Amino acid sequence: MFDAKISETTVTQNDIKIVARKVQVYYGEAHAIKDVSVDILDKTVTAFIGPSGCGKSTFLRCINRMNDTIPICRVEGDILLDNEDIYDKRVDPVNLRARVGMVFQKPNPFPKSIYDNVAYGPRIHGLARTKADLDEIVERALRRGAIWEEVKDRLHQPGTGLSGGQQQRLCIARAVATEPEVLLMDEPCSALDPIATAQVEELIDELRQSYSVVIVTHSMQQAARVSQKTAFFHLGNLVEYGDTEQIFTNPVDPRTESYITGRIG
Amino acid sequence: MSAAPQKRSILVADSHLAKRNSAEARFKLYGLAAIGAGLFFLVVLLSQIVMNGAPAFFQTQITMPLTLDPAAVAKAEKSMMKTAGYRGMLEEALWNEVQRRGIETPLKSPKDLREMISAGAPGNLRDFALADERNHGAEVRYTFAASSRVDGYLKGRVTREGSKDDKGIRPEHFDLIDALVAAGVIETRFNLTFIIGSDASDVRSEQSGMGQSMLGSLAMMFVVLGVCLPISVAAAIYLEEFAPKNRFTDFIEINISNLAAVPSIVFGILALAAFIQFGGGTLEIEALRASAPLVGGLALSLMTLPTIIIATRAALKAVPLSIREAALGVGASRMQSVLHHVLPLAMPGILTGTIIGLASALGETAPLLLIGMVAFVQTDIASIGDFFTAPNVGMPAQIYIWAQRADGAWYERAWGGIILLLVFLVAMNAIAIFLRRRFERRW
Repeated sequence: MFDAKISETTVTQNDIKIVARKVQVYYGEAHAIKDVSVDILDKTVTAFIGPSGCGKSTFLRCINRMNDTIPICRVEGDILLDNEDIYDKRVDPVNLRARVGMVFQKPNPFPKSIYDNVAYGPRIHGLARTKADLDEIVERALRRGAIWEEVKDRLHQPGTGLSGGQQQRLCIARAVATEPEVLLMDEPCSALDPIATAQVEELIDELRQSYSVVIVTHSMQQAARVSQKTAFFHLGNLVEYGDTEQIFTNPVDPRTESYITGRIG
Repeated sequence: MSAAPQKRSILVADSHLAKRNSAEARFKLYGLAAIGAGLFFLVVLLSQIVMNGAPAFFQTQITMPLTLDPAAVAKAEKSMMKTAGYRGMLEEALWNEVQRRGIETPLKSPKDLREMISAGAPGNLRDFALADERNHGAEVRYTFAASSRVDGYLKGRVTREGSKDDKGIRPEHFDLIDALVAAGVIETRFNLTFIIGSDASDVRSEQSGMGQSMLGSLAMMFVVLGVCLPISVAAAIYLEEFAPKNRFTDFIEINISNLAAVPSIVFGILALAAFIQFGGGTLEIEALRASAPLVGGLALSLMTLPTIIIATRAALKAVPLSIREAALGVGASRMQSVLHHVLPLAMPGILTGTIIGLASALGETAPLLLIGMVAFVQTDIASIGDFFTAPNVGMPAQIYIWAQRADGAWYERAWGGIILLLVFLVAMNAIAIFLRRRFERRW
């Protein structure tokens, strides 16, 4: 399985970026996340895997408080970003989301130009003082999104006119434009073809140098290819968390073994 | 290699399939029939309106040489009924014209021509005489309106047989009219007065027009737009994007839906009580008085608000959730996500809803009846006074007033008014479509 591993970048990966302790999530009466505790490292790709409905996306959305927009959703427990509680009353989710960016399952560029898509975040956060600053930020973000070469001549054409894979890389560029520290990706390749998927996976590995990346995926091969750490969720529980290599070759919990060998899920 | 014996050829349709196909064909036919019926009624309606209303846009005029005698003008100005003197001048001039052209008629004196001249023509001649003294004494070619009987005779509305008992015209007149038409003295021309004029008394249909009421409707539309658009968009955004889902907001939602179904006359009596009696009466607010387009617009706003709120909410709901998530994901606040992304995308839908609301408000008569916007308003269009507070009528109310009057000329004008109302509506829709195109964005 590890033969397919893409370019292995060596980065020191010791610092703990996010600490979650005894996190519970309820949708009305339903208990969606049960007692999840996990440490997510900086400059590391962490993959969340598990069968559908196991709570991996729900947990991901807790990390930048996207669940706040769902009225019936309730979160308990502690999630600390650099030792600060993100569910503290003083935290404005707007600030949090600038530091914890997100890429969604379906590419969702704004119906605006490519330039405006990327420039939107920096604009509302006041990151650029001049037009030249903004141009520079946009170019840097598009380069990081590995899409600069393809779009540099048509920055002012609509972002919705790009292909699916390009759109998703544009969305990644948009997410990194606000200089986040953590990048959450909710099944970023599920709407893409294999070639676009390969491009995005390569990009994720590069992004690891600058960010802590958390990726939810249905594809175990993808988790094995891009991540250093893997967490296996099942029925709202975090069953097992460890080095990707260990999870896939020598799982401790029988449920993990059943899942990665294809017996459940 | 042969197929299994129970398998049937796909080339042969079995009875089940035939049944299904005929059901499908029937269903298609029902749909076509429904559309056909709709088209048929539309064609009947439009052709009726055009056939009945088009004559209102033409008016029979009499053109002849006329010399204003300064002495006669002075005499007319001194008398009590000033226009009576001018009527005499018109009769005299027309009589002279008949004589000059050598037309034979059993009519004996200029006074016998009175029935052929519009009751409003003497007043117009007086205005002409007073406007410029240089007109006095010289011969001018003067054009004035013929009476509604002459007009009706030329348009086929008035017939010799049907006028036997009519005191408004005599059989001898018809021969004279025929002769004058042949001589080119009487002719039917485009009737600008009908488009820019105001209401006129029962016997002066030829002087009436929709202009005044069009201004009234325009003023009301401005009020409705100004009041409804901000309130409904704000209400809809709050309810759709920000409001918590609880019993109170459920209650509000149900009430908005119910308000949209309340008969408009209820809003009329509410406007009467709230704006005219309480606002204008108890609070003594000068602008809120009966017959004012401002009050009419407010009454129609009450009626239009729920329509636009519902349409705006539907438009907001149609914006995909992914756009909101994308905005929130890069750190936009909820307000920024709504104002920067959701609202622009919902704009075409909001505009459509607004225009539908405005269109139904434009055609509404019932609330206007209750707040006094059916009064007889005969103001010169130029001297209307305050656009929003001077007493006025709405277009449908004007049509309603005319349809009640006895003379056939008014019936024709009511239909003509409906043409103008529809033109007004089409113009509004055209603006809406133009704005839609400008705001439309794909995603």
